[in-house]
Amino acid sequence: MDILSPFQIALSLLAAGDAELMAIIGLSLTVSLTAVLASLVIGLPMGALLATYRFPGRTALIVVSNTFLGMPPVVIGLLIYLLISRSGPLGFMGILYTPAAMMLAQTVLVLPISIALSRQAFESLNGEYAPLFQSLGLGRLDRIRALVFEARVALLTIALACFGRAISEVGAVMIVGGNIRHSTRVMTTSIALATSMGELAFAMALGIVLLLVALTINIASQLLRHSFRNLGHDV
Amino acid sequence: MMSECESTDIIMTARDLTLRRDRMTLLDSVSVQIRRGSITLLLGHNGAGKTLLLNALHGLIACDSGAVSGPPLARQKMVFQKPIITRRTTGGHLRFLCPDLDDMAILDWLRSADMDRRATAPARMLSGGEQQKLALIGALAAKPDILFLDEPTAHLDFAATKFVETMVRQAHKNGTTIVMTSHNRAQAERLGEDVLLLDSGRIVEAAPADRFFSAPSHPLARQYLDHL
Repeated sequence: MDILSPFQIALSLLAAGDAELMAIIGLSLTVSLTAVLASLVIGLPMGALLATYRFPGRTALIVVSNTFLGMPPVVIGLLIYLLISRSGPLGFMGILYTPAAMMLAQTVLVLPISIALSRQAFESLNGEYAPLFQSLGLGRLDRIRALVFEARVALLTIALACFGRAISEVGAVMIVGGNIRHSTRVMTTSIALATSMGELAFAMALGIVLLLVALTINIASQLLRHSFRNLGHDV
Repeated sequence: MMSECESTDIIMTARDLTLRRDRMTLLDSVSVQIRRGSITLLLGHNGAGKTLLLNALHGLIACDSGAVSGPPLARQKMVFQKPIITRRTTGGHLRFLCPDLDDMAILDWLRSADMDRRATAPARMLSGGEQQKLALIGALAAKPDILFLDEPTAHLDFAATKFVETMVRQAHKNGTTIVMTSHNRAQAERLGEDVLLLDSGRIVEAAPADRFFSAPSHPLARQYLDHL
């Protein structure tokens, strides 16, 4: 394989605006961004709660969450498959081999990252702000609200870490999505398919496109990070 | 302030506050009364328990025994020795400290500290002196009944120290009770009305400031003043 050919193919695919490729990129972004959003909505309050309050079962929750950090995506895919397959407890939802199943799998995959990193960020900030919050007489909800605002740069980094894990994942979405053309095929499953078919240059080109997409997201987040300076963050 | 004072208008009372950590007694049966509208100075060497007592009076730490009675927390404010500054603009930080202030009031308070031009600057980028001034006006803007100041002028230059003392006097004139710690004898003599001298977590002398500085009765007080 000519080392330059994947780049040429990648550029020509993007330049041509290939409809199927665009649909695959669109689905990849939709699935991963939805999963990241869901994981942040669930994970951030949990991280804040774990960071700021002691309650029975807190340590067990941290241990379970941290364990899931190292869980292989295929195992998560398998667990979700068992849950949503026709005979599974959530089989009635009928979402197996749909983008919804892929979103669910990726949410479960990145949720531990969202919880663990936000807990760390909130713990550090809470240590710094606790006397002030106490002096101001802030209630539990106000404290969490203030911490989320104060941690906004760290939370952006957490969102990026979650996105990176979600967009690059292949095992789970392959199992619960099925890699069905025009339906559940995403960037990573396309790469896996092209590789298995021996189309290495094309697979590599898709990989480059995937990197370009990730690069665009990172540039956007960097711009957002700088805009936080206007809100007084010492970034 | 204390039993020796004639005034019966007491805003805050602490009875038998005792705090132990790691087999050490940090506060040892401390009982104080703070006169309404007074400026009370907590004096003592490093590690005597001044900041701990201030925190205990404000309710930031729970003692092992004893009780504090005073105005509700919402009517108390505290300025920490190292100001805790949020990751917001200067104006945003002031609004966080006093959510009831409108934009005009925020600018007025910043102007009073000659900081109105820094309203949109990140508060954490301000100098140490400016951060301390911001913390002070944030506390004063709430018009508290009682204000705790933990070494409010430590590490400040002359101009910033003068500003802090002027604001403290102004607040005192407006009826706010001030309880503060200081290592600066001149400042203590300038501002203090009542003095509590702490040593090893115990109050060893409680007296009106003029008497404390001119004729301290406890040997440790005389020793302390000799070193000051």
